[in-house]
Amino acid sequence: MIETLFIANRGEIALRVIRTAKRLGIETVLGVSEADGRSAAAWLADRIAPVGPAPSAQSYLSVDNVVKAARDSGADALHPGYGFLAENVGLARACAEAGIVFVGPDPASLEAMGDKLMARTVGIAAGLPVVPGGEAADKDAARARAEETGYPLLLKAVSGGGGKGMKRVDDPAQLDAQIDMAMREAQAAFGDPRVYVERFIASGRHVEVQILGDGESAIHLGTRDCSIQRRFQKLVEEAPAPALPDDKRAAIEDAAVRLAKHLDYRGAGTVEFLVDSETFDFFFLEMNARIQVEHPVTEAITGIDLIEQQLLVAGGSPLALTQDMVRPFGHAIEVRINAEDWRKDFQPSPGIASSVRWPAGPGIRVDTHIFDGGEVPPFYDSLAGKLIVHGKDRDEAVAKLVAALGDFALEGMETTAGLHIAIAADPRFKAGGVDTRFFGEFAHG
Amino acid sequence: MKGDLPLTLDDVNEIVSILDGSQYDRLDIKTARFRLRVAKSDEGDGWTQQWSLEDDAPEAEAVVATAPEEIEIPEGMTAIRAALPGTFYRAPSPGADPFVEIGDTVEPDTPVGIIETMKLFNPAAAGCSGEIAEICVENAEMIAAGRVLMLVK
Amino acid sequence: MAEVKLVDVSIRDGNQSLWGATGLDTAQILEIAGQLDRVGFHAIDFTSSTHMAVAVRYFKNNPWERIRRVRAAMPNSPLQLITTGLRFIAWQQAGPDFMRVVYRTLQRNGIRRFIILDPMHDADAVIEAARIAKEEGDAEVMGALTFTLSEVHDDKFYADFAAKLAASPHIDLFYLKDPSGLMSPERVRTLAPAVKAVIGNKRLEIHAHCTIGYGPVTSLAAADLGIVDAVHVGIGPLGDGSSLPEAGRMVANLREAGHDVPIDDKALANVSDYWWRLSEAEGLAPGTPQAFDASFLRHQIAGGVMTTTLRQLEELDLGHLFPRVIAETERVRAELGYPIMVTPFPQMVLTQATTNIIGGERYRQVSDQILRYALGKLGRPTSPLDPEILDAIMDRPRAKEIANEPDFPDYADLRKRFGEAMSDEEFLLRAVMPGDQVDAMLAAGPSRAGYTPEAAPVLKLLKELAARPAARDILVERPGFRLALHAGASTGAA
Repeated sequence: MIETLFIANRGEIALRVIRTAKRLGIETVLGVSEADGRSAAAWLADRIAPVGPAPSAQSYLSVDNVVKAARDSGADALHPGYGFLAENVGLARACAEAGIVFVGPDPASLEAMGDKLMARTVGIAAGLPVVPGGEAADKDAARARAEETGYPLLLKAVSGGGGKGMKRVDDPAQLDAQIDMAMREAQAAFGDPRVYVERFIASGRHVEVQILGDGESAIHLGTRDCSIQRRFQKLVEEAPAPALPDDKRAAIEDAAVRLAKHLDYRGAGTVEFLVDSETFDFFFLEMNARIQVEHPVTEAITGIDLIEQQLLVAGGSPLALTQDMVRPFGHAIEVRINAEDWRKDFQPSPGIASSVRWPAGPGIRVDTHIFDGGEVPPFYDSLAGKLIVHGKDRDEAVAKLVAALGDFALEGMETTAGLHIAIAADPRFKAGGVDTRFFGEFAHG
Repeated sequence: MKGDLPLTLDDVNEIVSILDGSQYDRLDIKTARFRLRVAKSDEGDGWTQQWSLEDDAPEAEAVVATAPEEIEIPEGMTAIRAALPGTFYRAPSPGADPFVEIGDTVEPDTPVGIIETMKLFNPAAAGCSGEIAEICVENAEMIAAGRVLMLVK
Repeated sequence: MAEVKLVDVSIRDGNQSLWGATGLDTAQILEIAGQLDRVGFHAIDFTSSTHMAVAVRYFKNNPWERIRRVRAAMPNSPLQLITTGLRFIAWQQAGPDFMRVVYRTLQRNGIRRFIILDPMHDADAVIEAARIAKEEGDAEVMGALTFTLSEVHDDKFYADFAAKLAASPHIDLFYLKDPSGLMSPERVRTLAPAVKAVIGNKRLEIHAHCTIGYGPVTSLAAADLGIVDAVHVGIGPLGDGSSLPEAGRMVANLREAGHDVPIDDKALANVSDYWWRLSEAEGLAPGTPQAFDASFLRHQIAGGVMTTTLRQLEELDLGHLFPRVIAETERVRAELGYPIMVTPFPQMVLTQATTNIIGGERYRQVSDQILRYALGKLGRPTSPLDPEILDAIMDRPRAKEIANEPDFPDYADLRKRFGEAMSDEEFLLRAVMPGDQVDAMLAAGPSRAGYTPEAAPVLKLLKELAARPAARDILVERPGFRLALHAGASTGAA
């Protein structure tokens, strides 16, 4: 049973984890860089512990700094949030060595799923369909693989994830140059230059499944659709995935559970699929062995606290939830409000919010660390907050979203709220079931 | 929320349910730990929540100063300023040659560096024509928006 | 001394004894469920069909959702449901097909332990219910030995009953249940060993209410015997009074006596603190240690029921008859075959005693419930009714009408009425509750996930002001707290 939890993250997810930990009577210690000492999460935590200077590489991305701070604080468990070191095997192992429970899956699962190429292999072994493609150890191998796969194709970082380090190649003539760039970016972002090739499926929907496991049993908490993306970064997410035939939905959910069971997976995880928008054939893309940004939409429709479930499993409790007990209700949509000027090519707009009015009311949830005086520093991601709405069906959720966005007002930074207002008014969005082409068409429309 | 009145966002939603339809349209709660204003929205039909988190410590300051330190710009020189805050890099990649050195000629579109903000890399262009006279920033230095990067004569 | 486990009854029995079963909704329970799971209770007395009906009717909470969400938050503390065995919400016994669906649905939603409590100690009925429960899942089934003081209910009576149940593979364990708080420490020192001797290695727990102060000392005496596995307790304001011994004090006493009670004290203190904050915020009276009242051992009528009866008599200017009414209840109880004074019997017996005294002729008037009881529709009475009294009760046309009352409908007919497409959860509620109540509950949607005791006074104030607006500008100020409420375009400072 966890007594003291060290939160090795920042921003809204740190605040989120602290909220649940407090409700469970767990003491919270927040790791803070020099930029985050006055954050909302620091305000709520029982204690804070410095982890280094502002730049991530010297603080939130430093396994040594994080583990040392956790150990010195007397914590018996560590929650890595999402991003940063959330799926870092080194952190998981270092915690184990320090006698600190890592709130996440076993290192074996992290390794299997962290290497996206290995994840494909594991997925195939678990009987999941995967996108045609394969590894590309060097340019010749990539060219050969590309010939098998066909164009257009995607170059993806083996150690990547979260949509980063992906390059689309439409033409064999571009392949060499794109491989160079992809490998360089992969090295810079993930410390591993390896890339692999995947067929680019033009009309695809990004559908993912939330799973929970305790090493013995695994269940799913339904689907989410995250097809509205810009440069592979999710903007809008909803649960359940709309406009899917029941049998396909069930097949996707079952595939996700199969993978989780194959891994004897412990904790919360998300299995991502690409779904053909016409045939609804689906392909396993990757598994994210951590809590995800968009987890609130699943919490909204299932009434289950996913952070709580993570803490329970990490603390050694079995999953009390059975598949039968998961009874989703209604529809939920989340929009990511980023501190970016969306009219100027999404130029980052870090700064301090002199005043911020978030929407409030039935069916509205706000996950944010930005209140009056809150700062989005320039060192990290641009997320200012997540607005989540829950309605008895999708139409009601969309109506709530439109109304809530209309009430939102933040001064001191540019935000993408206006973009979401435009998306929410789009008839294709209102109809539901858009695929990954949507944002491109919407942006140029 | 901590302390004497640990209001949750769920509680705020309930406050909205109670006040919606009543004659009241603004609620302002202040405790030692926070200030919360729940009000009918100016823009739309709904309600909003506005939180200020209180602390004993003095006012928060931005970690990177929003007002750049002023450098004296000599007569006849033009300053190249950073459009964004972040980390300034002088070369396209580690170990490569810097984009420009003192004495190089630049045009408005000539890249003079890269500013990395929130993990995105943005090229910094000279924005003017002339010769690089002075470089006022170090490689990998944290800079504020508006900071003078280089002087061009 | 041995390890003693604890069962927490706060949410069900404590809530029922002290707060009329209407003290807690889903959100208030969910708020503390996670911390409660960390204490290390052996089981949680969580709900009953009465409480499920209260959830629907009183709070518009979905009782199935409540079980699921609490179970999700409490993997380490089995949730238990107490039942008379073959009834679900309705007063009539349901057929086995219907009860099968009840037990299956309860277990699928997360109930891990059943207590089968038949106050009339009909062993066949209890075993039948246990068999159905076991066939529909792997929850534990506990048989209740419901204590009372009477000629009939001696140690041998309970040992015989326990032996019959223990012989069945469907009964896993037992508890001595003392709902009126009548069991003295002296009595438990003979009763518990008598029962333990016949149940073999099946475990025995003690559940002793504190109505006249016996609960804590009887529970301790039981634990000291070394044959009782677990003690039932209520936490903080949900302990003592007519509820179970207060948990913190019980733990201290057990440890003082040398027992090992391996629970998390900090977590228990946090849970207690939460219930205290809630009880203060909601104006719910806490249980308090009770004075010993020797007369209660004789008439067994709870204080609240006594005061109500006295008041009703005084309203009729018949207050002077009160002592005779109390004496009459003992007589009626004996004539009715010593029903155990657990709901609905105290009310039935007292009402009959009252009408016997003020109506002139004894048993000239009898209630429908007495008729049903006499006809065996509430179960087989523990010992037979006095034959003359039985004749007197049956001697009226209403007896025939009650006898001909339709039984609980056949399961297949009920299913046809509501359709196969309806979920079992919704079907079971609609079968036994008014449709508009179920509709309202479903329309209310999922429950909030939590509750903030400190916010309750603020929310109450706002509700009152919203309903009956006072001034356009309201200001409430206290040290450390300032609340300003404004209406429309106000001239006051924002």
